[in-house]
Amino acid sequence: MTRFSSPRMHDTSLNLVRRIAPALAHRLLQAVLVALLVGTLCFFMTRMLPGDMAYRIAAGRYGYDMVTTAAAEAVRLELGLDRPWPAALVEWWSRLLQFDLGVSQVTAQPVAMEIAWQLGPTVRLSLMAMGLSLLIGPTLGVLAGLKPGGVLDRFTLAISTVLRALPSFLLGLVLVLLFSVKLGVLPAAGHDDHGSIMLPALTLALGMAAVSCRVARDAMVQVRGSAYFAFALTKGLSLRHALLRHGLRNVAAPVVAYLGVQLVYLVEGVVLVETIFAWPGIGHALVHAIFGRDVPMIQGTALVLGLMFVLFNALVDAACAFIDPRRRP
Amino acid sequence: MSMHSLSSDDFIDTAPQRRLGRAQLAGIVLLAAIGIFALFGPWLVGIDPAAQQLERYLEAPSLAHPLGFDQLGRSALARLAHAAQLSLALALVSVLSAAIPGTLVGLLAAWRGGWLERVLAAIADAVLALPGLLLVLLLAAFAPGGFWPLYVGISLALWVEYFRVVRAATRILMASPHVEAARLLGFGPLHIVRRHLLPELLPRLFTLMRFGFAGAVLAMSALGFVGVGLQPPTPELGVMMIELLPYYGEAPWLVGAPVLTLFLTLLGLLLLSPEKETA
Amino acid sequence: MSRSSEVSRRRRSVLAATVTAASLLPWRGASADDRAGPHAHAFTAAGKDVLTVVGPWEMTGLDPSRAGYMFQRMEVVETLLDVSNRGRLQPRLATSWQVSDDGLRWRFRLRGNRRFHDGSEITPENVLMCLRRAHARPGVLRLADIRALSAEGGDIVIALNRPFAPLPYLLTHFSVQILAPASFDAKGNVVRIVGSGPFRIVSISMPQQFDVERFDGYGGLAVPGQVRRARYISVARAETRTLLVQSGQAELAFSLDPPSIRALRTSPKAVLVTQMLPRTTFLKLNSGHPILADVRVRRAISLCVERQGIARALLRDADLGASQLFPPSMSGWHDPALAPLRTDPAAARRLLADAGWLPGPDGIRYKNGQRLALSLTTFVDRPELPLIAAALQEEMRQIGIAVRVVIGNSSDIPAGHRSGNLQLGLVARNFGNLPDPVATLLQDFGIEGGDWGAMGWRNAEVPATLARLAAATQADPAPDAAARARVAAVLQAELPVIPVVWYRQVCAASRRIAGVSIDPFERSYRISQLQWT
Repeated sequence: MTRFSSPRMHDTSLNLVRRIAPALAHRLLQAVLVALLVGTLCFFMTRMLPGDMAYRIAAGRYGYDMVTTAAAEAVRLELGLDRPWPAALVEWWSRLLQFDLGVSQVTAQPVAMEIAWQLGPTVRLSLMAMGLSLLIGPTLGVLAGLKPGGVLDRFTLAISTVLRALPSFLLGLVLVLLFSVKLGVLPAAGHDDHGSIMLPALTLALGMAAVSCRVARDAMVQVRGSAYFAFALTKGLSLRHALLRHGLRNVAAPVVAYLGVQLVYLVEGVVLVETIFAWPGIGHALVHAIFGRDVPMIQGTALVLGLMFVLFNALVDAACAFIDPRRRP
Repeated sequence: MSMHSLSSDDFIDTAPQRRLGRAQLAGIVLLAAIGIFALFGPWLVGIDPAAQQLERYLEAPSLAHPLGFDQLGRSALARLAHAAQLSLALALVSVLSAAIPGTLVGLLAAWRGGWLERVLAAIADAVLALPGLLLVLLLAAFAPGGFWPLYVGISLALWVEYFRVVRAATRILMASPHVEAARLLGFGPLHIVRRHLLPELLPRLFTLMRFGFAGAVLAMSALGFVGVGLQPPTPELGVMMIELLPYYGEAPWLVGAPVLTLFLTLLGLLLLSPEKETA
Repeated sequence: MSRSSEVSRRRRSVLAATVTAASLLPWRGASADDRAGPHAHAFTAAGKDVLTVVGPWEMTGLDPSRAGYMFQRMEVVETLLDVSNRGRLQPRLATSWQVSDDGLRWRFRLRGNRRFHDGSEITPENVLMCLRRAHARPGVLRLADIRALSAEGGDIVIALNRPFAPLPYLLTHFSVQILAPASFDAKGNVVRIVGSGPFRIVSISMPQQFDVERFDGYGGLAVPGQVRRARYISVARAETRTLLVQSGQAELAFSLDPPSIRALRTSPKAVLVTQMLPRTTFLKLNSGHPILADVRVRRAISLCVERQGIARALLRDADLGASQLFPPSMSGWHDPALAPLRTDPAAARRLLADAGWLPGPDGIRYKNGQRLALSLTTFVDRPELPLIAAALQEEMRQIGIAVRVVIGNSSDIPAGHRSGNLQLGLVARNFGNLPDPVATLLQDFGIEGGDWGAMGWRNAEVPATLARLAAATQADPAPDAAARARVAAVLQAELPVIPVVWYRQVCAASRRIAGVSIDPFERSYRISQLQWT
């Protein structure tokens, strides 16, 4: 990890854009690839799922009482389920790239509309979890790094190891049992209480904080042992001042870089945590759609989750470039 | 922990540790214990995990049946042993079937270069763009309750890591003087791979396999927990956890057993890696 | 140095601005308009005075035939008639009814001076429109051979082609609910729920939640402490429903699983209310399937089911083991004299061997090279169903039948029935679906079978007997008892469906409310009768 205490380059906005542009172009390409991958998988799902797909779709549209074989045939023709798959696949892609996500087979509502309403809760949960993890993890890590080998350091190492070996769904379970059942402090599930975001967010945040804590701690140890930090102290700056002016930026760089890696944990965890806590977000909707074999919803929710992942990655790339002018994203 | 816990960049600079610290020893002991349980447990316990005796439902542990019986009167210990075997075996097979093709393709890409490498890199990027669990979920939607979607999904999600690591490392190695000398001297690709490339790659591959293994076990149990995993009566750790969860009040040992097994497995894998490779 | 401090100051302010913007984002949704239609989210926290009802059922659409029962249970919509706990017809939107002597002409007098939630009057024309709409779709009204629906004076007149005694019971079904004309759009689709019940819709956020509040124009005395606002939320997992009641977030929770029941027995915040329902959990068989067409195979399956064991282990009550299809609470249909269904795995194996199925090397039976393998479809809406399916799977394996359990959602059963793909299905059928069981049984065991009844079963006697029971006029009630016993006996012998256990509904009620009772016909949560303690 290289160190710097003052920018070598004149950090104008133009340079910033120039640094970020290749990374953003890369992420844009990734977004398109995600869309194609998800779309292709869902296309083959319609053809390969057991049971009569056209029948399901017709039943979802008109209700089970109303559906007849004629209606199912009409749906089959409309969706091109009788045509050879290469042509149908191309048509599927073109519909996808025009942002036509179709209609849910279960509720007969447009998928885009359903997702729009589910996006809010998921974004709130992710941001809250991210915020909490940044609050808990790096703070504890920096404090632990200031005294390597000390009580806090050993404590955070132990806790962090335990948390990293606990999958997010197990952690969520333990937290629910502890806070909701035994202590009765926080709501167990649902969406109707302002406090009900706490348990799901805490579950995700603790898992991520466990890692970022140790990353921050390692970075802090390195900074503390570095020459320029010692120089800052001998110059006469207080520990706090030295930390704020010179130390934190160097600690922040690997922590933010690690955020990118943790995003995988976040997106995967969102799916699991929303299911456990019945949080009505996109992850919950995805699992639900898989149960109901609702392919348009599966496609829509998986797409949104994938694109969200790419977007968060792009934001982290931008943040990295912002913080560390010498890093090529 | 997630399926893609590390980016390959972290590996180029880190040398594998040779000394065994206390943590690594603890990890090895844990994994050995679980491995033995998974390997010999079903044979030692000897009870059919599906055989049910409804009148013995939720029976408390006794000497003859150390974990008692579950809600359908099935031996909890037998189910745990089979579940551990299934989870670990499936994870191992997935990891191997991700590692071997991934390594080969990575070698091929770095060796050949050119458009082949670019195409493969693009495909790898596409797969990496989607979090592993999502990919496995999508594949599980094809055939809910089946083995092959889990297996294919996990392998597909994992091979990319091996591809990227091997490709990056191979490119660097190919540029190194002794490989160039070997090529000039006329040694064939197989020899170069065996003598020069593999010894450098294997330690990193093993590290990747550890995390891939953990990710695979996790993915399976997560899917089972969420309800799109293997269908009854297959004993699997995640499925057992969610099945036994309602009984945490009357029989906490039932849900505690698979939870502890999973936790100890992941802990063992985690302890094996030195502190430097935080992931 | 000054340049870098200037730069870093600029950077800090940008960072601060981003963080503030990001934190403001989440609250954008909190001020969503409450009455903006079916997708408005009411993010307001459920206050202390909002009665929260939680169950596993979700709204799959606004149309009465899809999820109309949810709005009926929360007392938002009404039907022409009601039933009492014992199944006797009671007036609701219709005050009285009469039938002509030949049984072909029914007349229902409407209650006057009633209004919908939007203030429009409940006229015979409005009611007729809803009835016609329900009749135009395949639904319960098709059971009666209706010739014409008309309004004469202030009455609704229904003319039939054949006498059908249970007609008034059909009008209690949720799919025949009466909605205001403002509920429909130009194409006849339901876009909002404007009913006439004691509660009106405040907001709906499909598919999980909707809020209601008391409709003052309903009439009746305002009792102090009565429930004025309520909310229904759908939660898929049974433990979560239990947790919500235990933590005080919900006041009424339905469809609990036995461990939750045990946990709630000692809870300081909740009491348990139980009620036997006219509901049976049974195996629905595809009698048209080549393997299951043989009645010996069906009988063998029935013989291997350990009903008492399942009832004791999974439902914690051995008495719920079904000895016949109809539970004792269905007096008139439950026949105490009928020989009960037995458990005898040895006899089951003999029957299968007689039918030509011989054990193979893997313990599964084979016949002419075909493996005796079937798929069992069930769903999670009722938490005990997947468990019972697992128990049945093992019991059938013991006699040599390989069963693959497929857990999906409840719409898989009708879909499998209509497409012919269903082989075995585990369902919990509510015979009180139409309070006169004759009508429900006609739905299920008529000539073509039914989504939740027989499938591919060729039997002329039962449909004919049921049709005769339905056509009975007041003149001769005597053969009824014999006819009903005959139906029960044939179903017991032929086994187009194999009963497993009966059903006891358990509801968890918070101690903060009083007056909780369970409707045995599951038509209403009776929240208008509840009071805060």
